[in-house]
Amino acid sequence: MANSTNIAPLSPGQLAFRRALRHGGFWTGGLIILVIVLAAIFAPLLTPYDPALQDLTQRYIPPVWSEKGTWDHILGTDNLGRDYFARVLYGTRISLGIGLLTLLISGTIGVSLGIAAGYWGGWPDLVINFLITIRLTLPVVLVALVVVALIGNSLTLLVLVIGLLLWDRFAIVVRSATQQVASREYITSARAIGSSTPRILFREILPNITGPLIVVASIEIAHAILLEAALSFLGLGVQPPQVSWGLMVAEAKSQLMFRPWMIAIPGAALVLLIFAINLVGDTVRDVTTPEGKA
Amino acid sequence: MDGPILEVAGLRVDIPVDGSTLRPVRRVDLTVGRGETVAIVGESGCGKSLTALSIMGLLPRSARPSSDHVRLKGEDISKASPRRWRKLRGDRIAMIFQDPMTALDPCYRIGDQMVEILRQHRSISRSDAQARAVELLGKVGVPTPEERLSQFPHQLSGGLRQRVMIAMALLCEPELVIADEPTTALDVTIQAQILRLLRDIQRETGIGLVLITHDLGVVAGVADRIVVMYGGEVVETGTCDEVLGAPLHPYTEGLLRSIPVPGETRQGERLGFIPGVVPRQSGEQTSCGFLKRCPYAMAECAGGPVAIRDIAHGRGVRCLLPPDPGARDPGLWTRFETEEVAS
Amino acid sequence: MAAFITKRLALTVLVIIVTSIVAFMLVHLSGDPAAAMAGEGATDADIAAVRETYGFNRPLYAQYLDWVAKLLQGDFGRSYYLRMDVGDVLAEHMPITATLGALALGFALLLSVPLGVFAALWPNTMIDRFSLWLAVAGQALPSFLFALGLMYLFGVYLRWLPISGTGSWQNYIMPAIALGYYATPAIMRLTRSGMMDVLQSDHVRTARAYGLSPWRVIIKHSLRHAIIPVVSLAAVQLGFMLGGSIVIETIFSLKGIGYLAWESIQRADIEIIQAILLVIATAYALLTLVADLLNAALDPRIRVS
Repeated sequence: MANSTNIAPLSPGQLAFRRALRHGGFWTGGLIILVIVLAAIFAPLLTPYDPALQDLTQRYIPPVWSEKGTWDHILGTDNLGRDYFARVLYGTRISLGIGLLTLLISGTIGVSLGIAAGYWGGWPDLVINFLITIRLTLPVVLVALVVVALIGNSLTLLVLVIGLLLWDRFAIVVRSATQQVASREYITSARAIGSSTPRILFREILPNITGPLIVVASIEIAHAILLEAALSFLGLGVQPPQVSWGLMVAEAKSQLMFRPWMIAIPGAALVLLIFAINLVGDTVRDVTTPEGKA
Repeated sequence: MDGPILEVAGLRVDIPVDGSTLRPVRRVDLTVGRGETVAIVGESGCGKSLTALSIMGLLPRSARPSSDHVRLKGEDISKASPRRWRKLRGDRIAMIFQDPMTALDPCYRIGDQMVEILRQHRSISRSDAQARAVELLGKVGVPTPEERLSQFPHQLSGGLRQRVMIAMALLCEPELVIADEPTTALDVTIQAQILRLLRDIQRETGIGLVLITHDLGVVAGVADRIVVMYGGEVVETGTCDEVLGAPLHPYTEGLLRSIPVPGETRQGERLGFIPGVVPRQSGEQTSCGFLKRCPYAMAECAGGPVAIRDIAHGRGVRCLLPPDPGARDPGLWTRFETEEVAS
Repeated sequence: MAAFITKRLALTVLVIIVTSIVAFMLVHLSGDPAAAMAGEGATDADIAAVRETYGFNRPLYAQYLDWVAKLLQGDFGRSYYLRMDVGDVLAEHMPITATLGALALGFALLLSVPLGVFAALWPNTMIDRFSLWLAVAGQALPSFLFALGLMYLFGVYLRWLPISGTGSWQNYIMPAIALGYYATPAIMRLTRSGMMDVLQSDHVRTARAYGLSPWRVIIKHSLRHAIIPVVSLAAVQLGFMLGGSIVIETIFSLKGIGYLAWESIQRADIEIIQAILLVIATAYALLTLVADLLNAALDPRIRVS
């Protein structure tokens, strides 16, 4: 009983980590994410072009693999002669940045509410459950569009709105995970020896729900990136001169008939990133729940 | 008497698991005559349920059964097509399962489930099928059978549900009924009722009944013959009186020593037990399967797999000891148990 | 059962009331509606006039109560841009979104339930891997990209279907697929895991032990059980689809509620926006209610007790 507090949080985590390393999906997904993160950080070193720089003499150059392509613009240029490769690279920054920042907000809200509901139960649980229901009842895309359109566009607002909308899954999953952990013996014993509530929450409970937490984080970061892309695609997300993959798809929409690659390139970047995140998330779910139960 | 209803010879079941192969059923011979009740007795994991399931052709997909033959009234059903199997199951062989709480479909009414089975095998009108269901429910002692037809399984008690299962098994007048631990999930008071019911039904209809149980106490008074299984093998066969009265195999002896006998076992007296656990059955056998748990083990026992020895007609034992229980020293058990407790 | 229904109904009413407040606040607190309506370049006097005309200078709670009072009489307000009653505008666009939602859900169920069943029947085979791959791909592919892909394939390359518009039934095919595809991974996974569980269950073994034909065992005694949670998931997914229809309808210029919402957002037509928010949220709340009630109705253990 006494040593279980020390051993329990560590050994299953280490075990899961070892199992993850043996998983092909973990490596594939992790590698793709690493490449994308590096590309975002070192974007200025990877391309000489400014993604916002227009050159009307160089419009609609096709990518290098088509007949009229040129190595000067590997992925061609867009309707304003901006280098497509540079735009895709810098778009990475927006996607990752928004994904991570919104995760910070949604994660903080969702985890706090989930732990509170799961740990205390009773009326806090009822209230928080009701909050979750209300949140689920509000349509995400519509609410985000309304707020962004009425308040006015800015990246900060975009991050805030998405972050304030996507906490529900965190709350739901953390709530049930906390309920399970809180009923275990070592929490009861921690209470019995008079540990303070914050101490129990942060030292005992939080480390024990990391598995489901990582899974939800992967789902929500992907969700946030997709939401940003959808909002930008609808013209109410990231605004020029900033670059976003969703915005690139929107700007290229009229070229669907003649230059479909202009949609396919940013689209592929988006799909690849989401796919890699999902792959890592799925692996974590598989290894933290060896019985295969979610 | 025209031949046995069921003849099983050389039945084995292999289950490949992670490179190696489990052999939960190794060599099982079984014969059930007309109007006969045969009890298969053994601990959990001895292969008795898998034996039943392979006779029914209901083994899990990963299991690979093989046999010399499994004959139902002379027809070898071990190589029957799935279509043929469906014609046999429910019609000529029926099975009663352990847990009546889960064996019936919770989504459908009792009557609908019984009618469905009957109409699968007989061209009979719905109302006639219902009449037959009512008749059988009444026969197995379900009170107010007409009302039960429109009830869902969860509205019935466990004992009643098991009676419904028995009625279901009898719907198509099968030749053979296999009851897999039919009373294990029930209250003790209900157990006796269900066993008596099974015995009465069997005597009345003359079906062959295979009763699978881990409880030797259950079989006395119900079974005609007993087949004792251990580690995937039949270790002893004989009539009820022979096996219970004069067990030949040390395993059967151990099983009987662990049952309290009313009037003989005194309060506070320690019951016997068989030291050790049932070994995991994988790979080929290189010795007697009971070697490690046997107080009478001899050097010859480790020499290779032991063949079953026919002592008399229908009486066999898989043991190298002389078939004379009186010549053995029961003190060996006590010493063996003490060593086990000490270690 | 009656107590359960009463409690569930009360919760739904409460949820709808609270969401109506949230919808109202969102629209009225996100900037100055009068300024938005007066348009760019309007003078302070213009804005003040608008504020006066539409009653924006009254306290918020009074405006809210006024809105609700009118709602209860079936009056959704009036669109300042379209100069029409919002109720009439909604009635015009609603059937289109309802049709789209029904078709999308139908498509999702037709694709994912059989795939889930087959994947459960033959685990680790081609069909299982295919459906798993489909689920993973479906989760990674944003709906607007999938919609554009469909558009390119069927509209531009094969020229089978019209790219956009609302006129004929053909206009619904691609939007329904694009919207419904989004719901398939979840439904398929739930069907698969549900079927896997049921196929292992005792009563299915009983059904097989009594010689019932394989399809009877699969449909009547297995799918019947596995479908119970799927039905409620489908209702919830339909609610999500109504919310997600804004992206799809905008891409295909299908003039349903979602398209109307997008247009109205750009015109700052707040009366329509708040009405749509309320309608979609109410639809979702009612669908989850239906999901719970269906769940209870489909399970005799809950229904008959």
